[in-house]
Amino acid sequence: MTGVYRKWGRVVRYENGVIIHVEEAGEASETDGVFRAKPAQTRVSVPHLQAREVEAFVAQTLLSVRPSVIERLIVSAGIARHETNGVIWTEESRRVHVALINPPLRVLIDLASFDIGVIETIAAALARAGDERAAPSRIRLAPNVSAALLPALAGELAMEQTGGGFDGKGQPIETRAVTSDPPPNWYRPGYAVRPVRAWLNIRALPFGSIDSSAPVAVALLAPIDGTTLRVLCIDGDVIFPTTLDATRIAAVARGEPAWYPYEAGSFGAEMML
Amino acid sequence: MTASSTFAIASRDELWLHGTLMESRLMHGEARQHGQVIDATDARDPRLVRACDDAIDAVSPAIAALHDARVRTVVRATREDGVESVETTMTIAIGGLSVVTTPADAPVDSALLRTLAEAKPTSSIFSLPIVWQNGSAAVLLHEAIGHANEHGAAPVSWPAWLSVDAPLVTRRETFRDAPLPRMKHLLARQTGAPFAPPDECIEVQLIAGGAYDPVTDIVTINVAVSSAGPFTIRRTRAQIAAALAGAAGEPIRYPGVICSREGQELYVASHAPLMITDALT
Repeated sequence: MTGVYRKWGRVVRYENGVIIHVEEAGEASETDGVFRAKPAQTRVSVPHLQAREVEAFVAQTLLSVRPSVIERLIVSAGIARHETNGVIWTEESRRVHVALINPPLRVLIDLASFDIGVIETIAAALARAGDERAAPSRIRLAPNVSAALLPALAGELAMEQTGGGFDGKGQPIETRAVTSDPPPNWYRPGYAVRPVRAWLNIRALPFGSIDSSAPVAVALLAPIDGTTLRVLCIDGDVIFPTTLDATRIAAVARGEPAWYPYEAGSFGAEMML
Repeated sequence: MTASSTFAIASRDELWLHGTLMESRLMHGEARQHGQVIDATDARDPRLVRACDDAIDAVSPAIAALHDARVRTVVRATREDGVESVETTMTIAIGGLSVVTTPADAPVDSALLRTLAEAKPTSSIFSLPIVWQNGSAAVLLHEAIGHANEHGAAPVSWPAWLSVDAPLVTRRETFRDAPLPRMKHLLARQTGAPFAPPDECIEVQLIAGGAYDPVTDIVTINVAVSSAGPFTIRRTRAQIAAALAGAAGEPIRYPGVICSREGQELYVASHAPLMITDALT
């Protein structure tokens, strides 16, 4: 990194009953191998965020998940202006993290949009979940599940970096095939975090065909462990927890995938094991 | 949580690798809470920043002398409703093992770490009683009692000889975070505990990490260094309570616990006596 990176931002976050408005600015630089970060002294105008959108989504979520219980609900909306190497850009973000429980099961949902439909579907399934079963021989992964898996499949599955926007050093993000070569772009999740090379906004290239009658894994029951997935599965009227080995992907659906906040960005599309 | 409160913080965070500074961060801010709403900004409190600078300057020569280690030092100067405090912690890693310590204890703990990094397992049998050395039982009790209390877990019957002081206070890592009831410290004591060292046992010296799951009531402990090498314990709190077989002596300072909950990492000073449990694997 040669230039100073600066970021000005505002976030409204709901976290388990508390609304937090955060306004801050920071800058980072690297000289002779030493990374330094500190609050920025200069101020620029960043649009104010209204808490109403966050509060409305929280209220909708609280009503939509019954009879499952919310263990953790974090909802945020943010806006940030970035400046580095002569490039200035603005990003808006939405993030949702929900942990729902129906003991002994816990589902984990991470979204980059205020999509109540996904949460409702998963909450309804969790409420009707039965006992553990063996993994079906053929199973579909819902987009929110496949997006979490995708970073673990780099090198195993044909995928590309999706072009658009700027990386953590102000370089344009271009569409590129994901290879074993060092990634061309830099990931900087926050101003106080040293940027690292990473493939950004990855997506699996479509192939094969999806059997829409196959059971579907609708939610994660635990964080991904390599390519092992603990998932909540729907097979017709039967809903059960199971563990999958996702080393071999049989198909990736066509269509427009949705972006999820896993690692340096991951697009979820329906997949078939 | 009071209806209205103010929290201010400054922190300095430095990462040193083999005596060379690699990363340096300054953070400051203020959070004003009114009911369930917090307004947080990166406001600078010069007094807190100066306290951080003084503390980091004081510890830097000691860090630079740790030529064989990766050292992360964090100084946090805070003021909460008028009460100020300064806390300095050092996470020292040598040979893939790490401890969390304070500047005063860093020489002793880094020496311990070097010894442990050289240690080789002398057994591969895991189904043996466990002798928790170096105060390491504090981590087991941190998860099984401290975190369970944070989550309001149902009571479990612990041995009468064991007393654990792990008060919950409102804490937060930064001005951006929601304050949570967190352990201030954990101090375990024994009074008249039985102590019969087993003929064969696993001696645990260092813990890599632990967790408590309030949904399943399961405690997980990842042992980093023991006479049987690294291994993992997964037991319910009731099983752990039933396995506590004895203890001896005064509480021993365990070299550090950085406790992470809701993404907020906080230091929890931890002490426990030499303790024995039945097999937990």
